[in-house]
Amino acid sequence: MPPLGSGAKLPIYGQPAAPDRAPADGRHPWRSLRVLGAGDGPSREFDEGAAEPPAGFSRRTFLQILGASTALASLQACRPARQKIVPYVRPPEKALVPGTPVHYATAVSLGGHATGLLVTSHDGRPIKVEGNPDHPASRGATGSLELAMLLDLYDPRRERGFRRGQAPLAYRSLLRELTALAASHLADGGSRLRFLTAATGSPLLQDLRRRILARFPQARFHAYESLTEDSAREGSRLAFGRVLAVRHTIAQARVILALDSDFLAVGPEALRLAREFAGRREPGPEMSRLYVAEAQHSVTGACADHRLRMKSSEVLGFARAVAARLASRHGHSQLAPMGATPSGSPAPGDVRIAKESAAVADDLARSSGRSVVMAGSRQPPAVHALAHAINAALGNAGKTVEYAAPAFDDTTGPASLQPLARDLAGGKVDTLVVTAHNPVYSAPADVDLGTLLGRAPNTIYLGYRDDETAARCSWVLAAPHPFETWGDARAHDGTVSIVQPLIQPLFESIPEVELLAAFLDLADQGAHRILQDYWRGRAKGPDFERQWEGWLARGVVPDTAIAAEAAAPHFVEIAAAVKAAPQPPAGLEMTFVPDYKLHDGRFAENAWLQELPHPVSKMTWDNAAYVSPATARKIGVEDGARVELRLAGRKVEAAVWIMPGQADDVVSLPLGYGRRRAGPVGSSVGFDAGPLRASDAPWFAHGLAVAPLGGAKHVFALTQEHFSMEGRDLALAFDAKAWSPEKVEHLKGPSPTMQEPVDYQNQQYKWGMAIDLSKCIGCAACATACQAENNIPVVGKEQVLRSREMNWMRVDRYFSGPPEDPQVIAQPVMCQHCEAAPCEYVCPVNATVHSDEGLNEMVYNRCVGTRYCSNNCPYKVRRFNFLNYRGDMSPTEKMAMNPDVTVRTRGVMEKCTYCVQRIERARIETRLEGRAIRDGEFTTACAQACPANAIVFGNLNDPRSQVSKLHQDERRYDLLHDNGTRPRTAYLARVRNPNPELS
Amino acid sequence: MATSWVLAEYGDEAALCAAARRLRALGHKRLDAYSPVPLHDVDAALGLRRSPVPLIALVGGVSGAAAGYLMQWWMNAVDFPINVANRGFHSPPTNIPITFETGILVASLSIVIGLIVLAGLPRPHHPVFEVEGFRTASMDALWLSAEVKREDEEAVAREMEKSGALQVSRVPEGSR
Amino acid sequence: MSVETRQMATESALADLLEGPPVLVGSPEDRKLSEDIFRPVWEQTRRGWLALFGITLGLTGLLFSAIAYTFAKGIGAWGNNIPVAWAYDIINFVWWIGIGHAGTLISAILLLFQQKWRTSINRMAEAMTLFAVIQALLFPMIHLGRPWFFFWLFPYPSTLGVWPNFKSPLLWDVFAVSTYFTVSLLFWYVGLLPDLAALRDASKSKAARVAYGIFALGWRGSARAWRHYRIAYLLLAGLATPLVLSVHTIVSFDFAVSQLPGWHTTIFPPYFVAGAIFSGFAMVLTLMIPARKVFRFEHVITQRHLDNMAKVMLATGLMVSYGYLVETFIAWYSGNPFESFVFFNTRARGPYAPIYWLMITCNVVVPQVLWWRKARDNTIFLWFVSILVNVGMWTERFVIIVTSLHRDFLPSSWAMYRPTIVDWSILVGTIGFFGFLFLLFLRFVPAVAASEVKELRRELEHERHQQSHDQAAHGS
Repeated sequence: MPPLGSGAKLPIYGQPAAPDRAPADGRHPWRSLRVLGAGDGPSREFDEGAAEPPAGFSRRTFLQILGASTALASLQACRPARQKIVPYVRPPEKALVPGTPVHYATAVSLGGHATGLLVTSHDGRPIKVEGNPDHPASRGATGSLELAMLLDLYDPRRERGFRRGQAPLAYRSLLRELTALAASHLADGGSRLRFLTAATGSPLLQDLRRRILARFPQARFHAYESLTEDSAREGSRLAFGRVLAVRHTIAQARVILALDSDFLAVGPEALRLAREFAGRREPGPEMSRLYVAEAQHSVTGACADHRLRMKSSEVLGFARAVAARLASRHGHSQLAPMGATPSGSPAPGDVRIAKESAAVADDLARSSGRSVVMAGSRQPPAVHALAHAINAALGNAGKTVEYAAPAFDDTTGPASLQPLARDLAGGKVDTLVVTAHNPVYSAPADVDLGTLLGRAPNTIYLGYRDDETAARCSWVLAAPHPFETWGDARAHDGTVSIVQPLIQPLFESIPEVELLAAFLDLADQGAHRILQDYWRGRAKGPDFERQWEGWLARGVVPDTAIAAEAAAPHFVEIAAAVKAAPQPPAGLEMTFVPDYKLHDGRFAENAWLQELPHPVSKMTWDNAAYVSPATARKIGVEDGARVELRLAGRKVEAAVWIMPGQADDVVSLPLGYGRRRAGPVGSSVGFDAGPLRASDAPWFAHGLAVAPLGGAKHVFALTQEHFSMEGRDLALAFDAKAWSPEKVEHLKGPSPTMQEPVDYQNQQYKWGMAIDLSKCIGCAACATACQAENNIPVVGKEQVLRSREMNWMRVDRYFSGPPEDPQVIAQPVMCQHCEAAPCEYVCPVNATVHSDEGLNEMVYNRCVGTRYCSNNCPYKVRRFNFLNYRGDMSPTEKMAMNPDVTVRTRGVMEKCTYCVQRIERARIETRLEGRAIRDGEFTTACAQACPANAIVFGNLNDPRSQVSKLHQDERRYDLLHDNGTRPRTAYLARVRNPNPELS
Repeated sequence: MATSWVLAEYGDEAALCAAARRLRALGHKRLDAYSPVPLHDVDAALGLRRSPVPLIALVGGVSGAAAGYLMQWWMNAVDFPINVANRGFHSPPTNIPITFETGILVASLSIVIGLIVLAGLPRPHHPVFEVEGFRTASMDALWLSAEVKREDEEAVAREMEKSGALQVSRVPEGSR
Repeated sequence: MSVETRQMATESALADLLEGPPVLVGSPEDRKLSEDIFRPVWEQTRRGWLALFGITLGLTGLLFSAIAYTFAKGIGAWGNNIPVAWAYDIINFVWWIGIGHAGTLISAILLLFQQKWRTSINRMAEAMTLFAVIQALLFPMIHLGRPWFFFWLFPYPSTLGVWPNFKSPLLWDVFAVSTYFTVSLLFWYVGLLPDLAALRDASKSKAARVAYGIFALGWRGSARAWRHYRIAYLLLAGLATPLVLSVHTIVSFDFAVSQLPGWHTTIFPPYFVAGAIFSGFAMVLTLMIPARKVFRFEHVITQRHLDNMAKVMLATGLMVSYGYLVETFIAWYSGNPFESFVFFNTRARGPYAPIYWLMITCNVVVPQVLWWRKARDNTIFLWFVSILVNVGMWTERFVIIVTSLHRDFLPSSWAMYRPTIVDWSILVGTIGFFGFLFLLFLRFVPAVAASEVKELRRELEHERHQQSHDQAAHGS
C-alpha cells in the first residue's frame, strides 16, 4: 500500500490551495470547542495564509496569492463568525472540562437519506462516530461507511481551496467570480445554466434550488446517483400512480420475502431493519423466517433461512409464481392476472422455482398481515409493483409496510443524466455546476460525461477529492467534510436533522449551500445564517433560538417525519407492466452490485474501508468477478484467473473469485473499484465495472461473454482463507426443530483444572461479553468501530497477504453444506479474555497479565515482542506490529487518534482490551457521583455500533445485567471450551428457522 | 630469608618419586613435581592430601540452587505477585528448571575458581620458567623442584644428582 | 589354572575382535604426538584454509547485515506472521542448540563412562559445541520485536518494578542456554590448559610464547595443580552431563508446555534430547571427517572413532524415529480431533507435506544404512549421511514449529508461511559464522587434546603390560 502519511504538514485554514506546504507555524488550525462556544474565535488565519506561497511557486503566482490573501484579510469582517454548536444530552458546562470527550449530534447523508450520528469530540477533535439513539434511521447503530467517514475528514490528500484551471482562487474572489458568472446568465433566464447535483433530502438545498429556478426559470437541475433508487420510484408510480416512499417495519413480521433486497446492509433503512430483524431471531413460536431470492451472495442472503439462488432476471418470474400460488390457493384473486405458474417444463430451474415459490407463498399467506415482501432497488419497477400488490393482497400494507410521500422527488438515475448529456453535446450549456459525487467515474458507459464536460465553457466542480471529475472541470472547488459545515438533512422517513460542524474546516472549502447561494447573491451570508434564516421561518412557537439549540442538541427536529398515507395499488396496471416484462434469456448474466465498503466508489480513498474484509468473501483491497463453482468450471477458470468480460461490444478486464452460493451463470462485479484518479490509496485498486454498465441495464444485463486471458493470476488478499469448520464446534447453528439445549451442554460449565480458579465474585465488577450468533448479520460494522476507537493501523494489501492485518476484531465466516448452495454463519471473534489465559503464563516478561476484574491486560510498554503469547492463543486474536505501521502519520492523521488509547509502536503485541479506556472512564465518572456503574451505561465500541444488538457487554457480577442473563441463556456456549481457558466472552448458538416444507 | 629453587629432570616416574621421598625424609617439605600428564604415585611421594574441590563444588551447587529457588519465590510470590493466567503466585513445579540450572552454574563456577585459586593460578612468571630445559615439562619430561634456603641449595642439588637426575639446575629467588 | 588361562586368552582375543580398530594407532612417543598434534598450529597458513576463511568471513558479514536490517525494519523483514509468529528464528535456535549437544556429551558422558575412544575427538567436539551455542544464543535476542530490551528477560530490579515471569518456558530457556554456554566454555578451557602450556613452551616465537602464556595462566603441570585439576575436570564432566540433558529438555518445554496441537506432547523432552545428540554427532562427523584427512590425524582419530560415532547416530536416530511414532500414535489414541488433525492431515497431507516427508527420509530412513559395517567404514559415504541428518533435523524443527502453527484451532485464522530473503540470509549466515569460528579454532588451538592422548597412550601401555604380565604369571 502507498504510505498513508505523506510528509504533508498541517495546513492552515484560509490558505490558498497547494499540495504540500510547510505550515506558517506550529499553531493548530482548529479551535477548541470553548473558543467555538464563546463565539469569538480569532480569525487571524488569513495573515498566515498570505505568509506562505504555494508549491510550484513563481513570482507571478506569489503576487496572485499576495493579492488574494490581502483581499481576504481586509474583508475578514464579512466572513461569518464562528457559530455556536450544541453538545448532545450532556449539559454544556461539562463540555468545557478539558480532556473529557463531548458528544455532538449531527447527520450524514448517503444517496440523499440521512443517518443521525453522535460524534465524540475530544478537545475539539472529532475522534469517533456513533449512532444517534434519537434518530429514526440509526437508533444508536452505525454502519461501516458512517464510521469510516471520520478518516476522510483527516485525510491530508483531500481537495484544498479553489482553483480555476491551475490558478488558485481565494474565497472572496471566488464568490465575486461566481456572482458575476450568475449575473451573466440572468439575461436569458439561465437557459444555458445547468446543475448536476447528488440526490439530497436537505430542505435547505431544495429551497435554494427552488429559489435559483425562480431566478433562472430556464435553468435545469439534474440529480445523479450511481446507486439510484429510480426503479423503486417507478415501481411505486406504477403501482399507485404517484411516487411514494416505501417504509418497512419488520419488528412484527414473521415471514419476510426479500426479492433481491439486501435490506439488512444496504439502503436508508438498513440499520433500523437489521435491529428489528435481529429482534425476532430468538428461537420460539414468534421467530421470524427470512426468504431471500438473489444472485450474488449478500449479507442478507447469508442471514436467510432459505436463500433461493437465482439470476437477478429470474426474480420477477419467481415473484409471479408466488403471486399465482397466492391467487390460486389462498383466494387472493386480484393477484391472478399478474401471477404466472412456472411452466411445468422438466427444466430443473422451473421445478425448483415451482416448489420454492409454492412453499413461500403458503408461508406468506399463513401469516397474512404479519408478512412482508421487499423488492431490492436493483430490481426493475415491475418487481416493485408486484411486491406492492402482494403486500396489499396479504393485508401487510399499513402493518409491515407503509407508504408516504418521499423525502425528495428526483430521478437520480441515467434517466436524469441523459437530457443533460444531450444538452452538453448540443453545446446548449455555458455553465455547469457539478455537486454530484464524481459523476465522470460513475456515469453509465453510454454517457461519456468526461468528454461532454469539455463542451461547456464553465464547468464548476464542488468535490471532496481531486478525482476523475475534477480532472475534467475548469473550476475545482474543495467541498467541506460533513463534519465541517452547517446544513440539514432528512431521514428516509422525512425526519429532519440539523447538520452542525464539529470542527473548523481543516482546509479551505466552500459548502454546497454557499455555492448555490452565490447564484442568489447571498454568498456573503454564509451557510449558518442561510440555514437559520430558512428554519426561523418554519419554527413553531416564539423562541426560535431555544428551539434551534434543542434541535442541535438532540440531532433531530421533532415532528418532521412525513405521515404515512393509505395507498391502494392499481392491480390492472401492475398486471400489464408485469406481463410486459421480458422473459429472462438463458446464458451468462452480468450483475452490478453496490459495494459494502466503497459504496459507489466515493470511499475508494478510505483506507479503513479498503482494508475492511468484505462481509461475505473476506476480501480486502479488491473487488472480483464473483462466479459460482459450477460456472467457474464451465468457463474453465480458477480463483484469481484473469478474464475479459464482454457485454454489448464493451469489455473490461477482471479477475475471478469463486463464491459459494452464487447463482449459476451469473458474474457479479461490485461497483466502485478500479478508480483511475482516486489517490495513492484507492487508485487502480480492483476492477471497474463502469464500462459495462449501460443506462438501459444499470443493474444486470444478459449476453455476457467471459474470455479467460491466461497469464499470471491476480493475487487477492483475503483475511480468511479457509471457510470450512473442519467439523469442529466453533460457530454453532441449528435448525429450530433440531435445536435443544443439550446440543451445547458439553461446551459450557466448569472444566477440570489443577489450579483453584480465582474467585471474582467479591469484585464489584466482573466484565464479560456475550455474542448472539442468531442476531449477528456479519456486517462488520463492529470491526470498523473497533478500528476507529482503538487507533488500529491499516497495513496495506502486501501485509494482509502476509496475514499481518491488525484488526483486533474479526468476523469469521464459515460455509457448511454443498459448495453450490452452502449455509453461512458469521462469528465475530476478538480476545475472549480467558480467566485461565494461555497467552499469559508463557510471557517471559509479564507483559500480559490479569486484572482484578478478570480482564486479560496487554502491557504495551512492558512487551518485548517474543510473540509466544500469540502462538499459545487458541483463538489467534493477538496482533503484532511487525513493522512500524504508525511511523509516518501526517499531522492531520494524528488528530484522528483517540487520546485515551495508546498508539502502539513497532515490535509490540496488541489485542482487544474490552475497550478498557471506556471502562475506566465510566468508573471515574461514577466514582465522582459516588455510585456504581449501571448496566448499559456504557459499552464497548463494537457492541455500541452493532445494528443487530448481537454483542452485549457488561458486569457479570450483576445478576440483573443483560450480559449475565445471556451467559445463563440455554444457547450459551464457550468457544473451544475443552481447552479450559474459561473465556469471559460467551457465544449464543445460532438457530435457523427453515420451512419444513422446503427441507 | 633468601630462598632458592633447585630443579631436576628425571627419566621416569619411579626415580622421581624416590628422590622426592628422600628429600622429604631429609626435611625438605616444599617439593613439587612437573609432568605433561597427571602421575599416579607422585601425590603420595610428595605427601599431598585429598583435594578440597569436591567440597567447594557441593557448597556452590547447593547455595546456587537455593538462591535460584528463593529468587523465583520472592520475585513472583512476595515482591510483585501478579495473577498470571490463574496460576498460583508460588508454583514449585515451574521453579524446578531454573533452580536446577542456577545450581549447576554456580557449582561449575566455584569449581573453576576453586581450581585456579588452589593451583595458584594465574601466575605467568615463576622461578621454574627461568630454566630453559623446563620447557620440556609440558612436552614429555618429568621434573622435580625443591624450594630451599639458600644455604641448603648445594646439599639438595647433590642429593638430586645422586638420585639419578638427568640434569640439575638452580634458580636463586629474585635472580631476575 | 590352565582352564582360566585359556578363558582369559579367548576373552582378550574376543575383546580385540569386538573392539575393532584401535583407538590409537601404534604407541607414538610423547614428543612425536605433540609434534603431530601441534603441527597445524605451527605450520604455514594453507591456501585451502584461507579460501574457506574468506568464504565464511563473507557469510558472517551477510549474517550481521541481515540482523542489522532486521533491527532497522522490524520482524516484518522476516516471513513471520499471525498465526506463524515463530519460524526460522526459533527453528534455527533449536537446530543450533541441538547441534551444540554432542560436544559436551562426548567429553562428559564418555569421560564418566571411561570410554577411551572419546579422548582424541572431545576437543574438536567441544569447540563445535561452543560455536554452535554461540549461533543459538543469537536468536533469543534478535527474534524479539524490541531487541533493544532483551535484558528485560533477566531478573534485575527495573524501574518498571516488575520481575520476569518465572512460569514462562522462555525464561527457563534464558537460564538454561546461558548456563550451558558458560559451563561448556569452562569445561573446554580447563581441558585446554595443559595444551596451552605445552604450546607456550613449544612456541618458537616470543609473541606466540607470550600469547599462549597468557592463556595458559602459568600452568606448570605441577603435581599440586594436577591433583585439583583431575578432580575438577571430572566434576565438571559430572555436572555437564545432566546439564546437557536438561538444556534440550527445557528447550522442548517451549513447545511441550504450550497448548498448541503438535506442540503439547509429553514425549518431547526425551525425544528432543535424542534428536539433539543425533544432530550433534552428525555435525561432529561432518566437521571431523575432512579435518582428520587434511591434518593427517588418521592415527589419532581412527576408523574406530568414526565407527562408534556412526553407531551412536544410528542409536539416537532410532530413538528419534520412536519419538515420531509415539507422538503420532498418541495423536490417534488420544482421540483429540485437533491433535490428530495436525498429524494425519496438516503434516502428512498439508501444504508442507514435502518437508515432512523429507524429514522422515533423512531422520528415519537414511540412518538405517548404518546397520552395515561397510557403510560405516566408507568415510565419504558416512560424511554424506551426516549431512543428510543435519538437513533432516532442521526440517524436523520446521515441521514442529511451522506446520503446527499455520493450522491450529480456528480454521479462520489459518495462513501460510513464506520465508523471506532475510530469513535465508540469517540461516546461511549462522552456518558461515559457525565455520568461521571453527576455522579460527583449527588454526590456533590444537584440535586434539595432546595431554589426554599422552595419558591415553600410557593407559594403553599399562593395560598391555598388565595382560602380558598376567599371562606370564599364569604361564609359569
